[in-house]
Amino acid sequence: MDYDAIVIGAGNGGLTASAALARKGMQVLLLERHNIPGGCATSFCRGRFEFEVALHQLSGLGTPEQPGPLRMTLDSLGVMENLEFVEITDLYSVHMPDGFHASFKPDKNQIIAELKEKFPHENEGIDGFFDLVYKYAGDMIGAFIFRDPEPSREKYPNMYRYAFKNAKAVLDDFFKDPRLKAVISVYWGYLGISADQMAFAYLAMILFQFIEFKPYHVKGGSQALSNAILNSFFTAGGRARFNCGAQRILTEDNQVRGVVTDDGDIVEAPYVVANISPVETYTNLIDKNLIPDNTLQEMNSRTLSNSAFSMFIGFDCEPEALNIAESTNFLMSSTDITRTNHDRMNRIDIQDELLVMSCYDVSDSSFSPPGTCQVNLVTLKYGDPWLDIPPGRYHEVKFRCAESMLCRMEEIYPEIRQHIEEIDVATPLTHMRYLGHPAGSVYGFEHRTRDSLFFQPGRHSPVKGLCFAGGWTGDGGFEPTLRSGVAAAKSILKQTNK
Amino acid sequence: MKKGIWQEFDGYEEIAEEIEFSFKAGKERSFDRLMAGQYIRQLHPRQLKLRIVDVIAETASTKTLRLAPVDALLPPFLAGQYIPLFLEINGIRTSRPYSISSQPRQTGYYDITVRRVPDGLVSNYLMDRIKTGDQLDSAGPQGNFHYNPLYHDKHMVCIAGGSGITPFMSMIREIVECGLDRTVTLLYGNRQPDDIIFHEELERISARFDNITYIPVIEKPGKTYTGACGFINAALIREILGSMSDMTFFLCGPQGMYEFCLPELESLGIEKRKIRKEMYGPPDNICDHQGWPSQIEAEDRFEVKILDGRTISVRARDPLLVSLENEGILPPSICRSGECSMCRVKVLSGKVFQPAGTPVRKSDTQFGYVHSCISYPLGDLEIML
Ligand SMILES: Cc1cc2nc3c(=O)[nH]c(=O)nc-3n(C[C@H](O)[C@H](O)[C@H](O)COP(=O)(O)OP(=O)(O)OC[C@H]3O[C@@H](n4cnc5c(N)ncnc54)[C@H](O)[C@@H]3O)c2cc1C
Ligand SMILES: Cc1cc2nc3c(=O)[nH]c(=O)nc-3n(C[C@H](O)[C@H](O)[C@H](O)COP(=O)(O)OP(=O)(O)OC[C@H]3O[C@@H](n4cnc5c(N)ncnc54)[C@H](O)[C@@H]3O)c2cc1C
Ligand code: FES
Repeated sequence: MDYDAIVIGAGNGGLTASAALARKGMQVLLLERHNIPGGCATSFCRGRFEFEVALHQLSGLGTPEQPGPLRMTLDSLGVMENLEFVEITDLYSVHMPDGFHASFKPDKNQIIAELKEKFPHENEGIDGFFDLVYKYAGDMIGAFIFRDPEPSREKYPNMYRYAFKNAKAVLDDFFKDPRLKAVISVYWGYLGISADQMAFAYLAMILFQFIEFKPYHVKGGSQALSNAILNSFFTAGGRARFNCGAQRILTEDNQVRGVVTDDGDIVEAPYVVANISPVETYTNLIDKNLIPDNTLQEMNSRTLSNSAFSMFIGFDCEPEALNIAESTNFLMSSTDITRTNHDRMNRIDIQDELLVMSCYDVSDSSFSPPGTCQVNLVTLKYGDPWLDIPPGRYHEVKFRCAESMLCRMEEIYPEIRQHIEEIDVATPLTHMRYLGHPAGSVYGFEHRTRDSLFFQPGRHSPVKGLCFAGGWTGDGGFEPTLRSGVAAAKSILKQTNK
Repeated sequence: MKKGIWQEFDGYEEIAEEIEFSFKAGKERSFDRLMAGQYIRQLHPRQLKLRIVDVIAETASTKTLRLAPVDALLPPFLAGQYIPLFLEINGIRTSRPYSISSQPRQTGYYDITVRRVPDGLVSNYLMDRIKTGDQLDSAGPQGNFHYNPLYHDKHMVCIAGGSGITPFMSMIREIVECGLDRTVTLLYGNRQPDDIIFHEELERISARFDNITYIPVIEKPGKTYTGACGFINAALIREILGSMSDMTFFLCGPQGMYEFCLPELESLGIEKRKIRKEMYGPPDNICDHQGWPSQIEAEDRFEVKILDGRTISVRARDPLLVSLENEGILPPSICRSGECSMCRVKVLSGKVFQPAGTPVRKSDTQFGYVHSCISYPLGDLEIML
């Protein structure tokens, strides 16, 4: 055998799997189709700007004194000394075209006070809701993080009662004002699942996590994270090939034997970690006859998550000149938190979609060159409708959508047009091209209640030696995908007794 | 912990039913559509075979090659973009970018217009050895030097030097042939009147269309020449344009032109965000570049060891990419001007010269990556591809 393991894809999950294996003495080859590591976790340069592609807020890091799960993972990979994290001092702000503006810090008391000031008629509900969020999180931690050997309804009443309730139903229990409900559940703009289809558990945990572990960014953007993990992999003796993906996974007697690369080389190894979708793996990379019907059926029962439409804008001035005062902003035109709003992700054009706008320079003035700043403006969109655009009209549609998005930003920040120095636009097709995932999905399979939490696909495959890492195994996002690679590595190491 | 305690959670029954239902209802999806391979290939093919269907002599030193697709549709592009050509010449495999000079709604072919560069490997090959019927390897159009309706002014001031006219030709042709609502003032610098590419066509267009103004500028005119002379400078620009608000400036030409014109534009008070500049390959003479260490001579030779590979001898004045290609080692390359990052390599030990302002990601710099098309060895190196 040429290697102990081959990792397909250098996204978050592939990178951490590679590094974790190599640091335990395994001989590992990492194959990546693009010329640079990171997958979503990357950046690109235009003019004097380096644009961040994906990372808005990093969850789960915590402080050195109170480390979150992600800090422990990154510590175990020996990458912390090469990275500088920046705490984002605000949680998020919501802006509406009618002038409504609420701004939250990652601090429970401040959030409650701000909500009470903006929604005095809902005072009671606000206390009750955050009380529940914290109790729910406490139950989850007790039962699952500390692995209570004997959990029960008596010990963890909120978990038993609320885990599978949808977020909207819980919001309806506490509040009447639709605007308040939309403001509290606005993180659906990250998750891509409307409040009536999302488990309350998700909303509770994302709020709890960001408040307790604080949101972070990293100097140099997510590319710095990707480069640091790759560097740790190289230091441990790992080998990587870029511009060279995996064509086929070879097997013998239902056991992985190696990989055929895009260059046509056969590389042998008894283990393969796929940082790519099972959809592609089972349909294109491996002999389909090896995959039992129920595995394929389960795969087909799941829907694919959204892709994204993003604008990367470089301004020739500092954020203050544009009246941008917070790092993380949701530009909200509609207070609809139901699937009707969710369905808007299926239309190509941008009208009243929920937009996320991050300006990294607010918390890290060195992020862009002196005297400038950059904004990452994104809305989640499904990829499929984009495939019906005739290629010859692609550029026109892209500019049309971007223009609508810019107008939306202008409603809140009227000064922007006088300061634009660079703009680039990424559509769902851009994500298809660079990630190679079906329908340009950025979060793997969709995370409705029935697909999330305890019902996720997981990393295992029916083929011996093959497992998955990354967004396709469970939750999307930086923290879960980075941790998923380490988990995949651990399960391989366990099998090899290393 | 007990397995599957969630089965006791409120609402589990309904979820189990939902899962069972989606299990039955789930259909196999069309993999080809999901992966969108065909669609993506039509927009951004990694390989594109082109056949020369016509060769048009433009000037004594310039030809237009008309390229039609061999086995696919031509990908759409934005006027101003370029295509890479991948070639093998005298046993050396290399690539070069060429801006498309035909207009985007002409979907049957791409024109590229090539000027002979003294001692140039590829330009001379294209001028002398390529003929109608030959095939060339390319890939999808690339580049960010195009009009962007989101933030560029409708009045474009285009400043071209020599073969730098090509992207503007595509833009101007599109504007007049498609009746776009845009205005162009073109200042086009050349050494001699004979060097001007597309002179007749530009004269004809500017005579016919009010929104296109064409000003040829001749560096070293003969005694009888009556047009604008010398370099394209602030005085000339002010004289022609008058007020310069609501205009975006586009520059394309040799390094020397940027070095001269950019300060002139600055002296006119043009803001940085109003100036777009096309990259145009590595500097002609790197040893004259600001910051080059004076103790290193152009002809100095060093050794480069490639991790898991050979050791090769390289010359200080050659970009690392060129030295590698000469030895048959082929990092991918597209722009060959330092911008696209395709050619990035990791320097494990030793020093290279990479001009200040080369757009390299911050963390790439932290971990020792350089863009090899615009990096020059300053001593012995060890690198990883
Ligand atoms: C616009 C946007 C905004 C986001 N914002 C946030 C945020 O604020 N916070 C957060 O936590 N998360 C965010 N995310 C999500 C997060 O970036 C992703 O969940 C995570 O990076 C996915 O990691 P992954 O391990 O699944 O791999 P991916 O990033 O999906 O990478 C897969 C890799 O595999 C490669 N590949 C594919 N096929 C092959 C093959 N056959 N052979 C070899 N290589 C192959 C691809 O080139 C790619 O590099 C965002 C994502 C996007 C796109
Ligand atoms: C985005 C882009 C678009 C371009 N579009 C066009 C185009 O439309 N038409 C066109 O003719 N060329 C164009 N070029 C230049 C082209 O890619 C080649 O660089 C040029 O043809 C010379 O290649 P060569 O192999 O003949 O010379 P090389 O063998 O690469 O170089 C030989 C010598 O000439 C010098 N040199 C290289 N390029 C130039 C140059 N352009 N002017 C002066 N000296 C040079 C080198 O420093 C070297 O000393 C473009 C370049 C870029 C980056
Ligand atoms: S080839 Fe584009 S940066 Fe070198």
